Amino acid sequence: MIESKQKSHSDIFLNGVFNENPIFRLALSMCPAVGISTNVMNGILMGIAVIFVQVCSSLTISLIKDYIHPRIRIPTYTLTIATWVTVTDLVLAAYFPVAYKSLGIFVRLIVVFCFITCRLDVFARKNPVFPSFIDALGMGVGFMVGMMAIGGVRELLGMGTLMGYDILGFRPLLFFVLPASGFFVVGFMMVIFNYTEIVYNRKKQRKLL
Amino acid sequence: MNSTTKEILRITFGLTFTCLFAAFVMGAVFVITAKAKKYNEYLNFQEKIFDILGYSETNPPPDGLQLNQIYRYIIEKDQAKYLGYIIPIDSQESKQDAFELVVIDLKGQLNTRKQITLSTENSREDRERKIAIQAVLPEATAVIYADTFLSANLNSKRLAYLLPGKTPGFKTAIQFMLALDSSYTIKGLEILEHQEDPGLGAEIERNYFKKQFVGKTLKRVKTIDVVKKPLPEDYRNYLEPDPWKENSLSESKLQEIHDTYKNNDIYAITGATISSAAVTNGVKNALKKFTYRVQVLDQIISENKIPAAF
Repeated sequence: MIESKQKSHSDIFLNGVFNENPIFRLALSMCPAVGISTNVMNGILMGIAVIFVQVCSSLTISLIKDYIHPRIRIPTYTLTIATWVTVTDLVLAAYFPVAYKSLGIFVRLIVVFCFITCRLDVFARKNPVFPSFIDALGMGVGFMVGMMAIGGVRELLGMGTLMGYDILGFRPLLFFVLPASGFFVVGFMMVIFNYTEIVYNRKKQRKLL
Repeated sequence: MNSTTKEILRITFGLTFTCLFAAFVMGAVFVITAKAKKYNEYLNFQEKIFDILGYSETNPPPDGLQLNQIYRYIIEKDQAKYLGYIIPIDSQESKQDAFELVVIDLKGQLNTRKQITLSTENSREDRERKIAIQAVLPEATAVIYADTFLSANLNSKRLAYLLPGKTPGFKTAIQFMLALDSSYTIKGLEILEHQEDPGLGAEIERNYFKKQFVGKTLKRVKTIDVVKKPLPEDYRNYLEPDPWKENSLSESKLQEIHDTYKNNDIYAITGATISSAAVTNGVKNALKKFTYRVQVLDQIISENKIPAAF
C-alpha cells in the first residue's frame, strides 16, 4: 500500500466522522444501531460508552505497540477491549445506575464491535499516541452521531418526542419503535448519507476546476 | 535454542502477561466499585418494593415507613430438623437494629431463642447470616437458607407483607414478588425475572395479567385457577388503560368493573396457558405457605413476648 502523505489531525478526526463512519460507511457494529437506537438519549449514552472504550483501547495499544508479538495481536486487542469494557460496565453499574438500566446488556456487547478491533489493527498499531487518540475520538464521535441521527428519526416518527420533549403531540407510526424498523431506517439513512457526500464532492470538484 | 522455540516462548510469555495484567486491572476496578454497586442494587430493590406498594413520585412513601426483612433457615441439630427465623427486634439500649434467632420445631413449638450479633448491612449477605447463626448454635450440623419475606411497618403497625417467590415456568424459573396487606389480601404482584417467550409467555409482565391478582382475598386465592377464556374488553381497559386514548371512566364505573370481576378466576394469556398457570400456582402456593408460617411465628412471638420490630 502506498504510504499516504502525513495527514493533519483534523483530517484524521473528520475521517472517522464522515469518510469512514462506522455505521453508515463501514457498516460495522450494526447491532446497537438497530437494537437500542429507539430514542436519542440511548444513542448518546451508548455513544459515550463507545468513545470511552475506543479511546482507552487505542491509547493502550498505541503505547505498547512495540512489545506486541505480531502473531498474537488479535488476542491482545480482544483482551484490551474486554478489560476496558468490563471497567466501563462496572463503573456504570456503580455510579450511573439510571444510564445502566436503559443500556442493559448492550454495554457488554461493545466487546464484539468490529470497528474497534479494526481501528486498533489498522491505525493504532502503526501510529504514535496522539494521532491514535484523535482517530479513536473521531470514530467514536462518528458512531455517536450516527446513533443520535437514527435515534432521532425513530423517536420523532415513532413516539412524536425528541429527548423526552413532546414535539408532534401524537404518535405517527408505532412501527418505528419496533426492532424491524431499525433495519429500514439505517438502510435509508445510509442512502441519504452517501448521496449527500457524492453531491458534496461533486460540487467541491466543480469549485476547484 | 533455535528461533522457533524462542518465538513460542515469546508468544506464551506475551499472552500470559497480558492475561494477568488484564485480570489485575479488572479485579481492582471490581473491588473498588463493589460497595457502590451493592448499594445501587439495594436501592433498585427498594424502588421495586415502593412501586408494588403503590408509592410513586406523585405519592411518596410516608416518613415512618420501615422495611423489615425476616429470613427463614432450615437448621439440623441433634438429628432433627428445625426452622430458624432471623427476626429484627426492638433494642431498647442502642439505636442499632438487633436480631434474634428463633428456632421452632416442626410441630410449631418454640425450641430456643438466641440473640445474634449481626449488623443491618451484613444481614443482607447470606454468608454473614450463616456465620452469626453458627456462632450461637455450634451444635447445628447444617444451616440451609430457605427464603425471606419483608414486612412494611408504619408506626409499629403492619402495613404490608412482601414475599419474593419462585415458580417453574414454561422455560426456566419465574421469579416474582407478591405484596399482601395485613389481612393477606393481595395488594400487588411484580414479575422480577423470567425467560419466557416474548409476545407469549413474556406477557406475564403486562398489567392486564398482573393486575388481575390485585384485590383477591386469601379465601379466593386458595381455590383460584386459570380459565382459558378471552379477557373481556371492559376488564382489559380497567386493568391496562391505553395511554394514548382519553380514558374518562368515572370512579364509580371503575369500582363497578372491579366488583364484577373480583371473584373470577385468572384469565390466561392467549397462547401462554402454561406460563399463566405457572404464575397463578406459584402465587397460590406462596400465599398458602406464607400464611401458615407467619401465623405460627406470630403465635410464638406473642406467647413468649419476643420484642419483634415488626
